[in-house]
Amino acid sequence: MNIIEFKNVHRAYVKGEDVVKGITFGLHAGEVVGLLGRNGAGKTTLIRIAMGMLEAQTGTVRLFGLDPRVEPVEVKQRVGYVSEDQVLPAFMRVREVIAMHRRLFKNWDDEMARGLVERFRLPLESRISGVSKGQARQVALLCAVSHRPELLLLDEPAGGLDPAARREFLETSIQLLNETGTTILFSSHHLNDVERLADRVVLIHEGELLIDSDMDVMHEGYSIALVPYEANGDGAIRRSLARHDHCIAVREKPDALHAVFSLPPDRARDVLGEQFGIAGAHCRTAVLEEMFIELVEGQS
Amino acid sequence: MLIVVDPNSGVPVYRQVIDQIRFHVSTGLLSPGDELPSTRSLSTQLGINPMTISKAYSFLERDGVVERRPGRPLVVKAVAESESSARKADQVREALTPAVRVILQLDVTREEASRTFEEMLKEGIDSKSEKPES
Repeated sequence: MNIIEFKNVHRAYVKGEDVVKGITFGLHAGEVVGLLGRNGAGKTTLIRIAMGMLEAQTGTVRLFGLDPRVEPVEVKQRVGYVSEDQVLPAFMRVREVIAMHRRLFKNWDDEMARGLVERFRLPLESRISGVSKGQARQVALLCAVSHRPELLLLDEPAGGLDPAARREFLETSIQLLNETGTTILFSSHHLNDVERLADRVVLIHEGELLIDSDMDVMHEGYSIALVPYEANGDGAIRRSLARHDHCIAVREKPDALHAVFSLPPDRARDVLGEQFGIAGAHCRTAVLEEMFIELVEGQS
Repeated sequence: MLIVVDPNSGVPVYRQVIDQIRFHVSTGLLSPGDELPSTRSLSTQLGINPMTISKAYSFLERDGVVERRPGRPLVVKAVAESESSARKADQVREALTPAVRVILQLDVTREEASRTFEEMLKEGIDSKSEKPES
């Protein structure tokens, strides 16, 4: 059984526009999945649905086989959640925020919490209103992981943090992976962090799932082809590329037509040569960041 | 043991770990019987997912570079001289692949390319700062 399972999840804004349009994927135990997409793609909505903060209008979400809207307490005892816009009570002292969470969770691990207080050098007697954004996020992270959750849901957890604080965040997640085997679903625009932490990426675009792939396949099994304009003709090539099973994005750039293939570079080169009569297209693998841009920009 | 991971290099992280450990074995920095760091400690040190290290280690084990003993750290396996030089040849081949690609594209003569190569070998370029671009 998967730790978390989204099945054909739909969710619209109150005004009626769909944000999430039938998303299906799951995470098995110990998996770390990076949830990618542009702002407004539906990542936050999806994570909030998993937390039971929003309801899926159609489709189902199950965490440990449980419905988060039906068994919220049982689910939340086993989940850790951090989001960019999470607000901790400003008037409380850091010590009090930690104590409050400690009372909420059955499996609270005092030793782990103490270790993180030291590691983050948190000022226990300061009020939340008086600590930096980075420190407030660290308090939130401490509270999200000190009950050693089976599942960690992180919504842009490193958003707005400086590089050192981001690294601390990453290392804390890795510690949890090592010690507890926690399953992690996290959204992030820091694709560097995603490359380090995720073993799989799910890319959503305008509410739909565009890519669900192992990180290593993303690197070795996908390629970007630059098709020179001489071969483009009147745009017919662009249209027929877009229809090809393995071509998942095409866009016109000043230098050339950029096409993303779900094939390694040599196979993409073969396809272009044999099926489109295009010789000499430059095909190569790419880092996640570049792939991300080509994919989201290349959707018609 | 020095391992550096560059998430911007475009080479999968597990590959980078494999390549560097193989390189350390070939240069003798890691000798037969030397222990590899645990998955946990290396993942913490590099700031990467422990599963990535496990994956790299499994490949190294499959390829006979390291061996697993129950309940003990992985150790570098002893190999015959012939095996070791075959591995070195593979590594040289891999390192030269991008260079050969560029040479073919530039359409320079073999003699010119070889001459430059010989000159560079003679000068003894710092192999670490001249890591091929991937």
